[in-house]
Amino acid sequence: MKPFAKHLLTSAMGNPTINSLLVGLGAGMVLISITSQEPIHAFTSFFGGPFSSPFFIGNWLSLSIPYILTGLAASVSFSVSSFNLGLEGQVYVGAFIGSWVGLQWGGQHEWLGIVLALVAAFLCGGLIAFLSSWWKRTRGFSEMISSFMVGYILILVIDHFLEGPMRDPVSGLISTRFVTEGFRFSRIFPPSDLHSGLWISLGTAVTLFFLLRFTSGGYALRMVGKNRTFARYGGISVQRVLFWGMILSGGMASLAGVVDVFGVHGRMIRGFSAGYGWNGIAIALIARTHPIGVIPSALLFAWLDIGAQYASMMSDITPEIARMIQGIIFYGITAQSLFRWFQFRKREGEA
Amino acid sequence: MIGSVIGDIVIMTTPILLAGLGGLYTQLGGKLNIGLEGLILLGAFFSGVCGHLTGNLFLGILAGVGVSALFSLIMILLSDLLKANIFVVGLANNLFCAGFCLWMGELLMGSRGTLYFTQIPALARYGLGFHWIDFIGFAVAGFSWVILFRTRFGIHLRSVGIDSRTAQSVGISPWIVRIKAYGICGILCGLAGAALSLPIQSFVGGMSGGRGWIALVGVVLSRGNPVGVWGISLIFGASSYLSAALQASTDFSPKLLLTLPFALTLIVGLLISRAPAQEDAQ
Repeated sequence: MKPFAKHLLTSAMGNPTINSLLVGLGAGMVLISITSQEPIHAFTSFFGGPFSSPFFIGNWLSLSIPYILTGLAASVSFSVSSFNLGLEGQVYVGAFIGSWVGLQWGGQHEWLGIVLALVAAFLCGGLIAFLSSWWKRTRGFSEMISSFMVGYILILVIDHFLEGPMRDPVSGLISTRFVTEGFRFSRIFPPSDLHSGLWISLGTAVTLFFLLRFTSGGYALRMVGKNRTFARYGGISVQRVLFWGMILSGGMASLAGVVDVFGVHGRMIRGFSAGYGWNGIAIALIARTHPIGVIPSALLFAWLDIGAQYASMMSDITPEIARMIQGIIFYGITAQSLFRWFQFRKREGEA
Repeated sequence: MIGSVIGDIVIMTTPILLAGLGGLYTQLGGKLNIGLEGLILLGAFFSGVCGHLTGNLFLGILAGVGVSALFSLIMILLSDLLKANIFVVGLANNLFCAGFCLWMGELLMGSRGTLYFTQIPALARYGLGFHWIDFIGFAVAGFSWVILFRTRFGIHLRSVGIDSRTAQSVGISPWIVRIKAYGICGILCGLAGAALSLPIQSFVGGMSGGRGWIALVGVVLSRGNPVGVWGISLIFGASSYLSAALQASTDFSPKLLLTLPFALTLIVGLLISRAPAQEDAQ
């Protein structure tokens, strides 16, 4: 083999991210071939499904929009090395606040209403995440657990509003009424779901990248994440940075909810966001918390979801396949590569 | 009347208690397992399904406990051997198991909805309405105290949790100790799952319903004492009972009543947790 190709191969095999992606996809193939009566057809529809027609390509991109935002949310919280596990609840709260603003707003100057909805959702999500950070500071209560529990409680409370006071009586789904046409983001790629919220998510990713990279606040954020003691000796107020990290994180998760409501559904539907938050964490880790890297890894997860959707329509596999592949990728995403581990063992043995 | 109330509260407490004790072992070993939720689900699923398919309750429980322990061991091996972040592996476990149980349900029982285990006998109730599995919960809590504070393994486990390097330097293998702790955690979570699905002889996706997280609250607040875990689980069990009773007797919104046990546990958690030392970088 040529040295360059060999080098490329070794570094790819030694790369933990590529390893865990390969293991996840490989395990997915095994699962499909166990369960399917016609494995070849199931394979092609699962892995090729998202590219089969412009409609599915559009839906694939559309699903990646909330994934990018939750991925960014998770990556900011990881950047300051705190765990925000309430993303799922924050997405839900954002969607709820956004649709509430949309429903209350009159018929004029809807663009202003949209801006207000986005800001309100961002602030609410940020506030919720901030609470956990605050409790950690004042009570010493693990932010991991409190953020999850607050999210869990809020989902139940919002479900109460959706089933009772705010439910649209004529709709078959448990949801609110539709927001007015002016609140809906324009469709870029009809008949698919792809909407102009795409620019919001891409813009947020780029903005975050520049914030982290080229501003002093971003520098403080990265320093606190890398080494708190060092940051403190450098004169950075660690607590303030931690608070801001959590606020940004919660806010972006809520943006994901409101963008999805205005872009795809046009109303708040119960349980619309199953998995946006949890997958966001995996997406951020695949990207190694890099804001721009979040975009391709969000595309990857959306691809798995749409592929499973398509394959469960076209062949005999269940949509849970996507969930399981994502889970397997998630298991290995922070692990060292097996290849490196073997090399390491061998060297140890020689020494 | 009072007796059946106590019985119902204990029945609601047991799964959390068992899972929380399992989590406690991992916490004391220095690597908290946050995948309890997924392990409980595995225990609930496999103990019911295998019990149903073989017609034997004990084979079922054995399967549930075994699969749960297997996943728990995979988690610690990923973390210790391949240096994966234990929290991320725990989250992965919760996510994977949710999909895995639905998929296996379709494969083994041919149904995606609620699974009914008609082939296994109902658990007998004794005394105030306890199942024998509830007695196991009590017994494990007591035994755990003895194991953690009065045996060699307990001392090794706690010393590894405090400082694994020092422990290693006096000849304790942190790996072996942690693997044992995770094995115990898997077994206890499997039992917790069995305590969830066997009394009602059915399984539905997501039936663990946040219990793994409540158990974690118990672990975090217990300050390393099994009695503390028991206290938090009892608070949750009692408030779950209250919530269920109110749902049956009043027309207050059931969704809001469902939040009651979680809100109460959270508030208690916030009240009894200690403020950290006032230093900027903790």
